Parts: sequence; structure tokens; C-alpha cells
Amino acid sequence: MRKLAFFIPFVLFIGLSVFLFSGLFSDPMERESSVLNKPLPAFTLPDLQQPDNLWTAEKLKGKPYLLNVWGTWCVTCNAELAYLTELREQGVMIIGLYYQQPSDAAFGEVFNLAALQQEVALKLEQQGDPYQWNILDKDRSLIFDLGVTGAPETFLIDAKGMIRYHHIGDINPQVWQQKLAAAYQSLEE
Amino acid sequence: MKAFFLSLLLFTATAHASQALIEFQNPQQQALFKELTQELRCPKCQNQNIADSNAVVAVDMRNKTRELVQQGQDKDQVLDYMKSRYGDFVHYQPPLNKFTLILWLLPALMAFGLVLVLLLRRRAERSGVVTESAEQATVQPQLEQQLDQLIEQYRRKS
Repeated sequence: MRKLAFFIPFVLFIGLSVFLFSGLFSDPMERESSVLNKPLPAFTLPDLQQPDNLWTAEKLKGKPYLLNVWGTWCVTCNAELAYLTELREQGVMIIGLYYQQPSDAAFGEVFNLAALQQEVALKLEQQGDPYQWNILDKDRSLIFDLGVTGAPETFLIDAKGMIRYHHIGDINPQVWQQKLAAAYQSLEE
Repeated sequence: MKAFFLSLLLFTATAHASQALIEFQNPQQQALFKELTQELRCPKCQNQNIADSNAVVAVDMRNKTRELVQQGQDKDQVLDYMKSRYGDFVHYQPPLNKFTLILWLLPALMAFGLVLVLLLRRRAERSGVVTESAEQATVQPQLEQQLDQLIEQYRRKS
């Protein structure tokens, strides 16, 4: 009994060390998404370049695709455009969901659709255009319903409109191979 | 000069007031809004509540909270609305389920363990005292005898 008690601090120390050591390699941003395996929330949002064309969750059904939340203001999103374009060339269907930052009325900012369209077109011309089309979420309503915390974030959605994967952060070759490729291919079949 | 500083003061006061002017139908709704924005956690900037954070997502959550409170929804309804989108993570009060059970059990287990250790120790001490004195009772006379012998020896030498 005495000898056993002697080892208690040692065991506690080892336990604490293992706990803290594993913490070094965990990602504090990683957590289970609450929209996983749920249908894409209902929405009616305009196409960014053809605002008369309204998209709904129903219209997007039929084929698995990536829904990529992005904005020209977002540096990481710009960095992933090139790789996403490569994926598009490989046959992956990617739809953009444009994350519009709130315009600050106090500084006289007003939302200007024409300017935004031009900015987006220029950006995609320079960096590559991975998108079949872009959906403009001016008030971030669908973005809010999807539990998006920032840009870029990417959702993998199956042909029936169910959300199968929610990735926070950019998509690069490593992330695609390790996390998304298998899931996407299984949906395609 | 004094007038200048006073006017500065006036300026900051109005600037501040214009930033967060939200009107509610009654003080209860206002209190609920305040409570909710302090209890809801910003999903982007961890360790800040949505009242403190100015991240876009926190601003959107604040606006949504205001909207829902103004519609007359109660606290649980607003919390459910947020949790269904951003997960249990967004509420600073974790729910009691199989993953979080340990948070409630651990303190109780530690208190129980502490009491157990104290009790065991006390029992060990009590039985330890008894054996020690019993040991002393047999050893002491022997030692004293040896000591007497030694003293006797040295006395003779000198």
C-alpha cells in the first residue's frame, strides 16, 4: 500500500504530460459541424453576375458539388483559387457562395453590385476561375444558416442536397487528398 | 481652452451613443438581449462573447439575437437557434450529455477520493501509533540495559 502510494505522483505526472503533449498537436478550431448530414437550408439568393437568376436549394440538386464560401477581400480564399481551378479541370463541380462583408454605413460605404461584379470578374481572371457560378449572399443569411464562421469554408453536398462534409480553412492538395477526395468520389458513383 | 475640452467630451459621448442604439419594447427584452450576448460565444474569435467581439460572424449573431428577442422568443429558443447552426460550442454553459458528463462527475469523484484518502490515512496512523508504542515497550528496556553496561564499562576504564 505504501509503495503503491509512492507511485501516485509519478502516474499523475505522466498523465498530465500525455494530456498536455497531445494538446500540442490538436487544432483548437476543429469541432463537429452542426449542419453535417442535414439538407442544405432553404434559400433564395441571386446569381452574382446575373442577379435576375435566383438560386434555391432545390435548383442545386442533381449532382454532388463543392460549395465554396469565399470573398475577394479574403486572402486565403484568393490563395486557394488556383488549386480549386485545377480541381475544376479534373471535373469537380464547384459553386461559389460569395461572402459579402458588411458595408460600414458610418464610413459612407454602400453596397455597389456593379463594382462587386467587376472586382470578382477581375479577380477570377487573374487567379483562375474554379466556379460554375457564384451565388451572392449579401446579408450572409445562408452563410449564417450554414454555421460559417469565416472564409474560406467549403461544404461537400451530395446529389440529394445533403451536406456531407464541412471544411473550415483553405483547400490545398494535402487537404483534398486526405479529407475531401475520397468523400467526393464516393458521392460521384 | 476649457470649452474646447468640454466640447471634445461632448463629441465622444455622442459618437459612443450612436454606436449601439437598439430599441426594445420592454426592459425584459433588453435584459434578455444583454444576457444572451454575454453568454453566447463568438465562433471565430474564441474566448470572446458576441457582445465583446466585432468579428463579422459575431456582429451577425448579435443582430440575429436582437431580431429574435424583438420577435418575442425566449432564451431557450434563441439558444437553440444558435446551437443548431454553430453547435453547443457557442454557448458558454455546456449541456449535460455523455461527452460532458465528466465535467460534473470529476469534482464529485475528486472530493470522494480526497475523503477516502484522509480516512485511510487516519486509520493507518492510528494503527501505526499502536504498533510503534508496543515496539517501544519491548525494545526500550533492552536499550537501557545496554546503555547501562556501556556506562559501567567506561567508568571502570577511567
